[in-house]
Amino acid sequence: TVELFLKAAAAKKRKFQVIVCEGAPHFGGHAMARSLAEAGIDTTVIHDAATFAIMARVNKVLLPAHAVLANGGLIAPSGSNMVALAAKQNSVPVVTVAGMFKLCPMYPHEGQDTLNDLISPSSVVDYGLMGDPVLSEVEFVNPVHDYVPPQLIDLYVTNIGGFQPSYIYRLLAEYYHNDDWEAFE
Amino acid sequence: DDGLPSSASPSRSGNNKRSSTPLPVAAIRVLLNVIRRSEAETMMGLQADLRDASDVMLEFAKRGGPVPSSSSSDASATATRYLLAGRSHIALSSGCELFLKHVTRASLETPDFQRCKSQVLERGERFAELSTRARDRIAVVGSPFVREGSVVLTHGRSKVVEALILRAALVEGKRFRVMVLEGRPDAGGAKSARTYANAGIPTTVVLDSAMGCVMESGCVDLAIVGAEGVVENGGVVNKVGTFALGVMAKELGVPLYVAAESYKFTRLYPLNNADLPEMGGIECGGGLKFLDTLAWSASSASDRKEEEGDLMTTDATNSQSSLNPYVVDLPPSVSIENPPCDFTPAKYITLLFTDLGVLTPSAVSDELIRLYQ
Repeated sequence: TVELFLKAAAAKKRKFQVIVCEGAPHFGGHAMARSLAEAGIDTTVIHDAATFAIMARVNKVLLPAHAVLANGGLIAPSGSNMVALAAKQNSVPVVTVAGMFKLCPMYPHEGQDTLNDLISPSSVVDYGLMGDPVLSEVEFVNPVHDYVPPQLIDLYVTNIGGFQPSYIYRLLAEYYHNDDWEAFE
Repeated sequence: DDGLPSSASPSRSGNNKRSSTPLPVAAIRVLLNVIRRSEAETMMGLQADLRDASDVMLEFAKRGGPVPSSSSSDASATATRYLLAGRSHIALSSGCELFLKHVTRASLETPDFQRCKSQVLERGERFAELSTRARDRIAVVGSPFVREGSVVLTHGRSKVVEALILRAALVEGKRFRVMVLEGRPDAGGAKSARTYANAGIPTTVVLDSAMGCVMESGCVDLAIVGAEGVVENGGVVNKVGTFALGVMAKELGVPLYVAAESYKFTRLYPLNNADLPEMGGIECGGGLKFLDTLAWSASSASDRKEEEGDLMTTDATNSQSSLNPYVVDLPPSVSIENPPCDFTPAKYITLLFTDLGVLTPSAVSDELIRLYQ
């Protein structure tokens, strides 16, 4: 969605630069950067740890969404919470692009574990090294998503318009009946 | 009109027996009785009767005792004053007003007054029923927020919060710890601690002043409080100390949840603590005693070493007189302020658990408009 959003902006002949975090360990940022560059957008790839350092030069942050929660919080790819925190520190607005189908009548009871999965660490560390007696004692954690609290998000851009996180409860009331909430508990 | 105070006083004596019925729900039952006994022949007359009754009850709550002209004994008068002490009358007035609005909504359809009156009574009884079950509904929506292995901090004695925590522990079977602020001057927290301990939940009681140091980095996972009233901007009026708890919680990254029934939603819009209406109950500062409990427990410990025989009974009988030397007597020139409640702005509150569901503070004004329409 973020890619289409940026390409649509480029089609309107807007001049802007995009900085893409590479998104280890899957490096989805590389493919995204290639795609954006093909559309003629000025793209820079940085590694995830450089986010804070670069943030001072950034005007806006665009985050994708896996799910939008009832309190206005966001489930986004792993690393998004860090980006949002860095943005807050530097007073950079954080905008999320999400279709309304991603709206979820759930509250983040489990904090960072809400709607999250820990997947195989094979992308972080090579399986061949597991034979090593020292390394086999180490736990490798590879979460797929991050929970970003609502106070770090400034705007949700959806297919029906732009909303503040504090308005999400209203959208939920329009899309979900009270009885549907129990199915998510 | 004479029938109104008399229908009000049986409920008052019911409250003296420390029943589990919340004050506003008892008030709603009184109003139902007023409808039953009313001799009005029109809707306007009935509304006037109900409004008079609510005013009598509100006046009662504000003054913190019965009207001086009534013939209740001195003991029950003082008992009632202590019962209402530290309670704001916000919940009472909002409960009465919501009831009035709810029952009189039916009045426009039926031309026959007697049928109208029975309709009104039926709606009223349903409202009272919903209000009584509000506490259980809140426990159902709120208990998932208490997670396994978490530490919950509470302040003041709220039956709603107790129901929520007991549900998480007993019905949902979660294992967690509760940290309770003692709750000067009515030891509300300590009383709640008894309830939690009896249910088998590991409980710690701390001084109110210790709320800062116990909330530091990860020691407390969430804080839950009740409310005397929920105001239009999503802020809450609750036992004094909640405001401090809110500021602390925000600063230290602890979410603050408020558990309140929907009849506590009121059309007030305070901007800060000075904007709160005058609190009822004990005159501010009158009932406050300053006790050096450290010195008292140190001395009674040494007394216990000296005394023989049944130490428990002697401690009980001597407790009143043995306390006196440890009470700090202040000269009359010292003024004492004892606000029973304070106002916590919406920005310090994470979520509200109500019988209408879980609400963000910004959603409160929407619900208020819906309730009061």
